[in-house]
Amino acid sequence: MKTFAYFDSGHEFPEEIVMAAGFDPCKILGDVEIGTGPADEYLHNYFCPFARACFTEALSRAGEWAGIGFAHGCDATNRHYDVWRAHIDKPFFWVNTPMKIDATARKFHLRELENFRAGLEREYGIEISDEKLAEAIRLSNRIKNGLKRLAALRAEHDINNLEYLELMNRALTGPRQELPEELERKLDEWQQRPPFPRALEAVLLTGSDVTSPEWMEALEEAGLRVVRDDLSLGERYFRAAIPEDIPPLKALVEYYGAYPQPATRVPSDRRLQYLETAAWENDIRLVISQNLKFCEPYAIDAVWTTGVLKNKGLKIIHLEREYTPTLDQQVITRLETFKEMALQ
Amino acid sequence: MIAIGLDIGSTTTKIAVMEERKLLYTEIVPTGYNVEKTWKELFAATRERLNLEMEMIGGIVSTGYGRNSVDIATRRVTEIMCHAAGIRYSLPGTRSIIDIGGQDSKFIQLGETGEVTDFKMNDKCAAGTGRFLEVMARALESNLEDFGKLSLVAEKAARISSMCTVFAESEVISLIAKGEARENIIAGIHDSIANRMVSMMGRSGVVTPVAMTGGVARNEGIRSALEKKLGISIEVPATAQVNGAVGAASLAS
Repeated sequence: MKTFAYFDSGHEFPEEIVMAAGFDPCKILGDVEIGTGPADEYLHNYFCPFARACFTEALSRAGEWAGIGFAHGCDATNRHYDVWRAHIDKPFFWVNTPMKIDATARKFHLRELENFRAGLEREYGIEISDEKLAEAIRLSNRIKNGLKRLAALRAEHDINNLEYLELMNRALTGPRQELPEELERKLDEWQQRPPFPRALEAVLLTGSDVTSPEWMEALEEAGLRVVRDDLSLGERYFRAAIPEDIPPLKALVEYYGAYPQPATRVPSDRRLQYLETAAWENDIRLVISQNLKFCEPYAIDAVWTTGVLKNKGLKIIHLEREYTPTLDQQVITRLETFKEMALQ
Repeated sequence: MIAIGLDIGSTTTKIAVMEERKLLYTEIVPTGYNVEKTWKELFAATRERLNLEMEMIGGIVSTGYGRNSVDIATRRVTEIMCHAAGIRYSLPGTRSIIDIGGQDSKFIQLGETGEVTDFKMNDKCAAGTGRFLEVMARALESNLEDFGKLSLVAEKAARISSMCTVFAESEVISLIAKGEARENIIAGIHDSIANRMVSMMGRSGVVTPVAMTGGVARNEGIRSALEKKLGISIEVPATAQVNGAVGAASLAS
């Protein structure tokens, strides 16, 4: 099956429409190990490094893809659209998503999804029926359910931070059809794991998406195990199910209003409510809030979020991190101190 | 038993020796390139000077960015916890610590019993650190020892608006070219460091009494600028520069 790639710094892109069109969706995630040199020929290096890494990946891999979709993840995705179109010869699609949830926004969102479906049909000479969309939604829900059950095991068994990141990478970049069976096998394996290690502290992770394995490993080395999160490369992707009892495009609109909200959306109340509930559900005392350097939505959001969660009695640390596989000692010290504070 | 604290910072390595929680000895040496060689030599020299046999040593706590290189440490603790422990030892009752070291600056909040309740560190940037002062001292052909005293006789603080070490150096050179008095420029430099620190502190909230530690605490100009901006007095313990090592030794006791 041909791959259709998409650039979305949040979880706004309707993968199910791409699946119904007969493609395997693949989220572009960049690679922290590869320099952003190719993208830097077209973009200043004070723009989001993750976005530049995604552009670098697209410049080298676009030949493998049937097309490239963009969603309104943040301002970086918005403004990259024209830059990518100017330098990559592929069919491009732009899907806008509203930043608030009300009747007008829903109406607008539905029109955007209808336009995207029509655009794919025109470009590839195919028909994307409601039946195909419903089938894609059922598959997507099976995947989300499998991921949700696996993720829940983080609090009970010895499943390290990197394994969770790798699971999410696989889910968002690999073929979807066989994924539910893969997840079932993984579930059998993870259920046999030893219990949650006593030496580690359970944490809730929020902020910019973490795509760097080294960063997840650094948390682990500092004695911090992520058992809940609200990342797009995490719970935001699988926590909510897409309704199956209403017309498919309307179901997608409902879904995007129901999942854990990102910092790009207003108001923040629902985002904060999700974090607070997640901490409460798993009896988590420690919250790690972080933003990638130049990731303004989460840098700005952190000021408000950390204050509110602190007032709720949670211990919270906010860190700004570089897009690099090499962590500096200062970040490690902050993480280790955070754990030491919890153990005082 | 003897307890030893080793604080391996980016600029200097410090050792503190305690016996039954009484401070016996401290020493500071430059860290240099080879961190392991530095602490080993300092440790050996201290043992020789105090006639310490290894079996007399009950605990060794290492801290600072080089803490993991100390293979003989009985415990490795972050510098933030050690600075808190050091202040609990030298100035009990302190609720806020300002620590400005060679390459980072920290603000540590303590609870009523001296536990760390919050902390902030500068971002990965030399602005507002000892390194910033070194660069400025070089541009002004002064030395760090004179910096504090010179700023206290300034008529007014020159305005240094850039927070970046590199750009601030250019700004200082421009001020020199305009004929601004050296004392005024130094006072401006201290003000810019104090402003940065106060912003960092403001995010957590300042609770008094406040103490200052780290090598920069010896600079009266910085302390004075901070006191003016915060409207409070700041205590500096006699062991300010070795506070992390003292804290490490107290945790090893």
